[in-house]
Order: sequence, then structure tokens, then C-alpha cells
Amino acid sequence: MKRAHQQHRHQPSDAILAALSVDLLIQILERVDDPRDRKAWRLVCRDFLRAEALHRRALRVLRLEALPGLLRHYAACLDLLDLSACPGLGDHALAAALFAEAGSWRLKSVSLSRASGVGWRGLAALAAACPRLESVDLSHCVGVGDREAAALAAAEGLRMLRLDKCLRVTDVGLAKLAVGCPALENLRIKWCLEISDIGIELLAKKCRDLRVLDISYLKITNSSVKSISSLGKLEVLSMVGCSNIDDEGLQFLSDGSNSLRSIDVSRCDNVTASGLTSVIEGHICLQKLNVGDCFPELAPLFLSKLNGLKDSLTVLILDGFQVSASSLKIIGVNCKNLSEIGLGKCKWVTDEGISELVAGCVNLISIDLTCCHMLTDKALMAIGEQCKKLVCLRLESCNLITHRGLEHIGTGCPSLEEIDLTDCPVTDTAMKYLSRCSELMILKLGLCDKISSEGLVHIASNCKNLYELDLYRCIEVTDDGLAAIATGCSKLQKFNLCYCTQITDRGMKHLSCLEDLRDLELRGLHHVTSLGVTSIAIGCRRLTELDLKRCNLVDNVGLCALAQYTGNLRQINISYCPVSSMGLYKLLGTLKCLQDVKLVHLTHVPVERLELALRAYGGQLKKLKLFIGLRDLLSPWLIQMLQARRCRIRWVDKPLVFSP
Amino acid sequence: MVPERRRPPEASSKSSSSMMSESPRNLKPGLPFIPFDSTNLWCGDGHGRSFLEFSPPLVTQSNGLFGPDRETKSKNQHEPSPVMDWNPRLMLSNLSFLEQKIHQVQDIVRSIISREDQFLDQANELAAQQQLVTADLTYIIIQLISTAGTLLPDIKNALLSTNPAVGRPGSNQKQHEIVPVEVAKASQHDSLIKDLNSCGGKEDGLIKCSNNSGVEASEPIPIEDPDTKDNDDGMDGENLPPGSYEVLQLEEEEILAPHTHFCLICGKGFKRDANLRMHMRGHGDEYKSPAALAKPSKEASIEPQPIRRYSCPFVGCKRNKEHKKFQPLKTMLCVKNHYKRSHCDKSYTCSRCKTKKFSIIADLKTHEKHCGRDKWICSCGTTFSRKDKLFGHVALFQGHAPAIPMDDAKVLVTSDKAQVSEASSGMPGNTTGYNFSGNTSLDAQTPDIKGVDDGHGCFSPMILDACNIWGLTEFPHSAYEVSESTFSFLATGSCNSIQRNGEN
Repeated sequence: MKRAHQQHRHQPSDAILAALSVDLLIQILERVDDPRDRKAWRLVCRDFLRAEALHRRALRVLRLEALPGLLRHYAACLDLLDLSACPGLGDHALAAALFAEAGSWRLKSVSLSRASGVGWRGLAALAAACPRLESVDLSHCVGVGDREAAALAAAEGLRMLRLDKCLRVTDVGLAKLAVGCPALENLRIKWCLEISDIGIELLAKKCRDLRVLDISYLKITNSSVKSISSLGKLEVLSMVGCSNIDDEGLQFLSDGSNSLRSIDVSRCDNVTASGLTSVIEGHICLQKLNVGDCFPELAPLFLSKLNGLKDSLTVLILDGFQVSASSLKIIGVNCKNLSEIGLGKCKWVTDEGISELVAGCVNLISIDLTCCHMLTDKALMAIGEQCKKLVCLRLESCNLITHRGLEHIGTGCPSLEEIDLTDCPVTDTAMKYLSRCSELMILKLGLCDKISSEGLVHIASNCKNLYELDLYRCIEVTDDGLAAIATGCSKLQKFNLCYCTQITDRGMKHLSCLEDLRDLELRGLHHVTSLGVTSIAIGCRRLTELDLKRCNLVDNVGLCALAQYTGNLRQINISYCPVSSMGLYKLLGTLKCLQDVKLVHLTHVPVERLELALRAYGGQLKKLKLFIGLRDLLSPWLIQMLQARRCRIRWVDKPLVFSP
Repeated sequence: MVPERRRPPEASSKSSSSMMSESPRNLKPGLPFIPFDSTNLWCGDGHGRSFLEFSPPLVTQSNGLFGPDRETKSKNQHEPSPVMDWNPRLMLSNLSFLEQKIHQVQDIVRSIISREDQFLDQANELAAQQQLVTADLTYIIIQLISTAGTLLPDIKNALLSTNPAVGRPGSNQKQHEIVPVEVAKASQHDSLIKDLNSCGGKEDGLIKCSNNSGVEASEPIPIEDPDTKDNDDGMDGENLPPGSYEVLQLEEEEILAPHTHFCLICGKGFKRDANLRMHMRGHGDEYKSPAALAKPSKEASIEPQPIRRYSCPFVGCKRNKEHKKFQPLKTMLCVKNHYKRSHCDKSYTCSRCKTKKFSIIADLKTHEKHCGRDKWICSCGTTFSRKDKLFGHVALFQGHAPAIPMDDAKVLVTSDKAQVSEASSGMPGNTTGYNFSGNTSLDAQTPDIKGVDDGHGCFSPMILDACNIWGLTEFPHSAYEVSESTFSFLATGSCNSIQRNGEN
């Protein structure tokens, strides 16, 4: 692509269009996947830019100030608009942006997740401007209530709606939606705590096409399950943590009048094996079954009923159960097609059990063995021998496993993408074996204090796709390890280096090569100075989250560099850093995307300066962490203003202690 | 039963001072008449005497119980002839009292005659005098009968003592709270009393009384004790064939009487017999015996009670026995509530809505609990006091949705506004404001709302509330004179829209 870019730069654009029509340009563009290449494409010339605009279907807006221009450019062809990174987006801005291109919108999907500034006016404008709207995501907009739901109900064609944690939506709002959007197929109202049985009943009567329904954590009772059971097309039902629902409620699902494929009843305290048995009886095509943390013991009846699902069941989550080896054997024998099993916190799982399981379920893709303390290398050996397709393996806190076990994983599971070894006594040798898994994307090595740079060199040598690396408190890791990672794993996006105390500025310099880095945690790196932070800021322009807590040498210079280069920074933690008011001014005055700022114990910043800096901030703060002693020192006016702008202040009550 | 107790004090207190000079004893409510019937009639059983136990010595003893403070002297006189239950001296005193009473009535009538011409312009005073006379006459009749009634049990007692088998409960069809008397006489006695009750204070009742006396004889006097209604509640009286139950019709006074049980000693009134029995304990140790405190109806209910239903005294009411499709009332409480609800003034007004009125205070309280709570509103304008009712309604009708009390109109207006803006953006040249002059309902509404718009699209909820709830999407725009008001709107409206364009 870059070559094309070079090639065309010096020619007049007419000539390009003569040679390559817009159709052809678009066809070429379809083959360009990497966003960086796309960016290069856009920079070639106006025609290329126009072609890209015609081709683009999805848009994620990172900075609010760019919104009007972006929409003007892309409005015509856009299907998906993601505004979730714009918490400062208000009703007026949204309505204005939509009206500007009124009539030409083809938008089908809009994500306003966490865009807490949008209220009913904005949503009403959205519903009016986009007649083809099918999908809206309002999750985690805690301020969304009945009015917003009513405004959204004007979008008749709505088929998918996420309202997770829209705390103020009540039965009335739900009824508005149910009446206004009868075509709803996918509705998630997790954590909408105000919704009760009455609302669910009406929903089930009005929205007969519902296929996916998430009612987790609602205070609903069995009668809701009864209404839900009448939904003939229902396929996926999530009801995590509905403690008012018991076996009697699940009985309503036993007649199989709906085409349920997936049910999640985890954390439903009052559900027992008999209720689940009735669900299984009614739905022989059940594919996913999540019963984690429901009842402690696996009843034989339940296990025998699993036999009825043997062909269909692919996902079985049994977190927190007392699963004996014989139970696992039965599962292994019955559920041959199982692709995912969750045994997290099943403390009594033994090597024998795992061997029995994997002997039967050879198609397992994902195995969760978090906190199965009794497991040893034998279990890993069995997994490595049997599960050739394994993609995800979670072994957090399996204290008895060693590099010998991981050797089998490394050789037996070539397609492994994710492994969690947090708090496992693994060594660099284990990393050597793991590095054979060239597809590895997520590697968690937190608290593995025997891992040194040598291990990282092994990983970097073969795992090019590594996307997330967690080295929390891997105190042996040095700058050399980072150098290897920075060169070997160029796609790294999340990196946790907290308390890897040997890291210095040199390591930071290496890290600055990682252009894709989004989330970097450098907590407690007391050898890292502003120089290191500056190199990070210059190199990693896409950084959105940065943790510099207790980096005792990072001062104003580092903050100024961050302010200057990392314009997309959304979260920053500079607690305990020796920054002064100048750095804070610069940081808060320049960065417009900051949402979450932690400013605990900034001993070099006087209270009045802190207040001034906070007042000067022009963006939309959502969370602010401050020392509790400041509560009375900051002016009430400021606190009031912040809270009025939907900023939640968390007051920390920790005394100032300088860590060694 | 009750009116006898109730009337005298009223009558005497009303007529008292100026008209006649009575002994203070007589002014004491209820006291002088106690000795004879009433004790035996309704308290006799109340003291737990079963018929089998009934024996002469007990009779005297218990008789003594009923008026201990009243007649120590009469008690003495009792002793020599324990078998003879009635007291000639007492009878004499009662008769002389009656005589006195008759004189008193005579005086009143005379005074009426003498001042007849004066009354012409004071009709209400005359009516009051008439009422007084009626009441007194009723009272005299009751006294007369009850005085005569005292003789009856004595005959009965005499019979019992000689031939106890006659009085056995098994042979007695009328098993009720009346002291067992010889069957025929008891029923006669009952009917007399009853008819007196039923005629109450009404003049026509007097005639009725004489006419009916033998006809409705089968009905014993009800004890208006809520305890006894328990028996009734157990039965399903709804589809009773007309002849299968007794019908009892109480008169208005009786129904409206605040108390139905009176202390025979001090005259204090009670709503419940149980409360009276508790009260009686204060009058002496003899009332503290378990027998005296026992629930009277228990023993009576050994025998099957005749099914009893009630009739409303209001002629023409469906609950009145004269009605073609007569539906009897089940219990005394039903009678009270029915009569108050249907035939009495509704004197209790709801303090919140000031419109709803009730004749029963409990109804008012029930209403007040829900008054003003019609907060559940459908988009069609129907209001509901309960959420589930609203949701049931919404589920039933296509297109109806719950209204959010204040905000629904706002949404509506916003979408209107959006339309306006869309329209304006469709006309590129028109940036100076919207042309309101030729518009219809939309403008009539929109500019008006813009008037209260504070420039941030935040509308006064009150106006919109009204708009929404009453479905005023067709705002009464006819009220606006197109000539002037639209122009005034134009000024503010266009101004605002320019501002808004600027914002946008």
C-alpha cells in the first residue's frame, strides 16, 4: 500500500481516475485491511479520500471536535457510527451533527455506550434523522431513563438494543420501547434494576420476535420467566444473578415452546439441579449452559440429563462446583462436542478428572481451570495430548504446575491464543516451551516472579501476534526483555509492567517502538523518569490508558510530553508523582479526551492550583480520584460543578506513605 | 331490644327539665326498666346458664345479679318467695311510672293544642314536639309490654319446676339467646317485642306493629353482636330459596345506633357484647365468674340456628323484603353498611379531592389511601391508580403506551421541532426563520412552546404536561387569532430559531 501511496503522490488526480475508476479504487480498498494502510490511502489524494468515504461503512469517533467534519464527510454511506469514546457528546452536538446531513442518513447501528452526555433530545433527534436505525447501544449510560427510552421508541425498526446499566429505566420506559419497537430481536437490559415483572410481561406480549434477551441482575421473579417462556423465537436467555428466580420459574421453560439454544443462570442462588434438569428436558438442542455459582454440588440426575444434550451442547460452565473425577468422566463420555468448559474455582478438580474429561472431549477449544489448586503437570499433559484445537487455557493460581506441564501444552496445542498463568510458579523454561505457540495473543504472567528477560526473549522470538502481555510484579524482568518484546511483538496493545522495578528509561525507549500500544501500566517503576515517559508519549501515539502511579521520578516534563503527543489519552493515573501545578495545567488544559483522572497525593501541587487546573479542564471528566483531605479544601462550587457535569469523585482515604 | 334502651334517655333528656319533674332515678338511662324482661331476655343466657342447669334457686340468684345496686330492698323481698320471680312492688312502681309518663305525654299534647296557632309559623318546632310524643308513646308501649312480659317467665318457671322435660333444649325449637320460655309464649313474647322494635319511633310503625304482631312471630330478637355474625358468615346465603330463611327487618334508628349493647347498671353503651361483658366485671365479683364472661352464643349454637337474613327498611330498595327480586342482607354489619351507603347522607368528604363523599368513615379512609394517586397514565389519556392495571390496558390495545407524565409531550415537541428543522434545511435560502404565517396546528403549538423555551430546548413541564395528558396534539389553535398572535409568535419564534441555528 505504501508503495501505491508513493507512486500516486506526484501525479495529478485526474490521471488516476482515468486509469482507475472509483469502482476499481473501492475494490482495491476492500483488500486493504490494516487501518494504518487505510490512513495512508486517505492521504494519497482527494479522489482516494472520496473513494474511501464511499467505501466506509463504519466509523468510530475518537475525538468529539472531529465529529462534525467526519460526519459531513462520511454521512452518506455510513452504516455504523460508534460514539462510545465521546462522553462529552451532548444532545445539541449530536442533534446538530445529525441535522447537518439530514435526509441522507443510512445509519443502521449507533453505539452510544458510555456516552453519558446524550439525553432524550439527542435520542429523539437520532430516531427522527435515521429512519433505518436497527441497532442502538446505550449500555452504561447510567443517566438514561424512561424519557430516553421513550425517545428511542420512535425508531420503529429497532431490532437490537443494549440498555445495560441504564439505571433509571423503569417498566414504563421498557413498555414504551416494547410498544414502539415491536420488531426488537435482541434486547439487553442487564442491571436495569428498576424493571420488574410487569414490564417483562408486557415486553413478552409486545415483542414476539425476541431472540436474545439479557435480564441479568434484575429483581424479577418466576412470573417473568413464565412470560418469557411464551417467546417462541427466543434463543439466548441470560439471567445472571436473578436470585428471586428458582426451580419453579425454570419449570416454565421445560415445555420447550421456545427455541432456546443458550441459557445462563449463573449466580442464581435459588436455582438447583432439578430446575436445570427441567430446562434441559425441554430443550434438547441446548448449546450453551452456564450454571456457574448456582448450587455447590452436581447432582447425578443433572449429569445424566446432560446425556440428552450430547450432540448439541458445546459450552458448559460449572464455575464454583464441587466436581468430582467421576462427574467429569460422565461429562467427557456424554458431551463429545463440548468446545468450552468452565471449571473456575472448582477446587476439588483433580488430574484424574481432567484426564477423564479431555479423553472424551477432544474438541475442547477453551478450558478454564482458574483456582483449581490441586492440578499438577499431569492434567496439562492430558490436555496437551488430547486437545489439539485448544485456543484458550486459564490456569491462574494453579500452584503446582511447572514448565514440564507447559511443555506438553506448547507441543500439543499449536493454536493456543490465550493462556493465563497468573500466580503460577513458572520459569523461563516454561516460556521457551510456550513460545512454540506462535498464535499466542494473550499472555498473563502476573506474579510469576521467576520470569526474567530470558523468558521474554523466547516469547518475542516466535509470538508475533501477541496483543496483551501482563507482567505484573515480574520483578526479574529488565530492559533487555522489553527490548525483545518491542521488536518481536509489534502488535502489542495492552502491556502491564507494574512493579517490574528493574525497568529504566532504556526500557521505555524500547517500548516506544510499539505504535499500537493503547493501555500501558507502569505503576511503581521508580527508575523511570520523565525522559522515559516522553519517549513513550512520542512513540505510542495511540495510548488511551496510562498508569504512572508511584513513578517517583516522573515530573512535569513527562506530563508535558504526554499532553503534547498522546491526544487520545482517556485514563491517566499520576497519583504520588512529583508533578507540580505546571504539569497538571498542561495535562488538563491540552488533553480533551480525558475521562478518568487519578490525582491522589500530588504533594507538589497546592490546593488552589489543583482547583484551578480542574476548573480549566474543558473536556468531560467522568471519574476523578482525589485524596479525602481535599474534600473540605476544594471549593464546594468546584465539586458541585464537577458533579453537575456527571463527574463522579472518589475520595481516597489512604495516608501518604512513600514506598521504598 | 336496643331502642328500648336507647330511647328513654333521649326522650327524657329532651323533654325533661321544663316539662316534668321526675325523680333523678328515672333520668338515669335504662335503670328503672331493667328488672323484668330485658335481663331475662338477653342477658340471661349471657351468663352462661344452660337450660338444663336452669333451676329456681339459680334464677333468683342470677336475677339478683342483674340489678344489684338497684334494689337491695327488692332483694329482701325476693327471699321469702323464691319461686315467685316477679316482684309486685316493682310492678307497681313501674306502673306508676308509666302513669307518670302518660301524664307527661298528655301535657305535651295539651301544650301543642294550646299553642297550635303559634306553631303555624314554626313548623319545625311542631315537628319536634310530634316526634317527642311519638317517642314517648312508643316508649310507654314498650314498657307496658315488657312489664307484662315479666309475668311470662314466671309461668314458665313454674312449669319447669314441676315438669322439667318441657323446657329441655331438645324439645325447644326456638333456640336462641332468650331465656327459655314455654314455646308458644316465648314466641308470642318475642313477636311483641320484635314488632315494637320494628316500629321503632315511626308512627306508621305503630300500626304495622299491631297488624303484624302474629305474622312474623317466628323471629327472635337478634342480638346485634358481631360475634353472632360469625355464624352467618359461615353459611352461603346467596342462593337460598325464599322460604328457607327468616327475614329480619330492623328500623333505621336501630341500624344507625352507635351502640347496641348497654350496661344494665350504669347504662353505658357498647358496640360489642364482649366489651360489655368486660365492662360488667367492674360492677361486682359476680360478673367475674367464667360463666358470666363466657361467650353467650356458644351454647346456643349447639342447636342448629335458623338461617337468618336481613331486610333493609327502605321500601323500594332491592334489599327490602317487599322488593320483587329481594336480595337479603347477610349480616347485621351488611345491613348497617348497606343502609348507610345507600340511604344516608354522605357526610364524609375526601380532604384531597374535595369531591368524593362517603357515608362510612372506613370507605373514606380507603379512598384517601388511593386518592390522587392516579399517576399511571396511558398515551390515550386513561388514568390508572395501579401500574399493573395500566400495563394490562397497554397490553390489550394496539399502539397504546404508558405516558411518562411530563416528558412525553417534550419528545413529541422535539420531533416536531426536528421536522421543522428538516423542512427548513430543505429550503436553503430560508435562514432567517420559519414562515409561520400559513401554518396550522404545528405552529400554533410550537411557537407557543418556544415562548417558554429558555433557549436550551428545555421546556416548561407544566404546559407540556397538559398538552400530553389530555392528548392535545390538536392544540386548541382555534383560540389563536391568526392575525395578531401568529405575528407575535413570529417575532419570538424566529428569534429563537436563529439562535438555535447558531448553536447548531
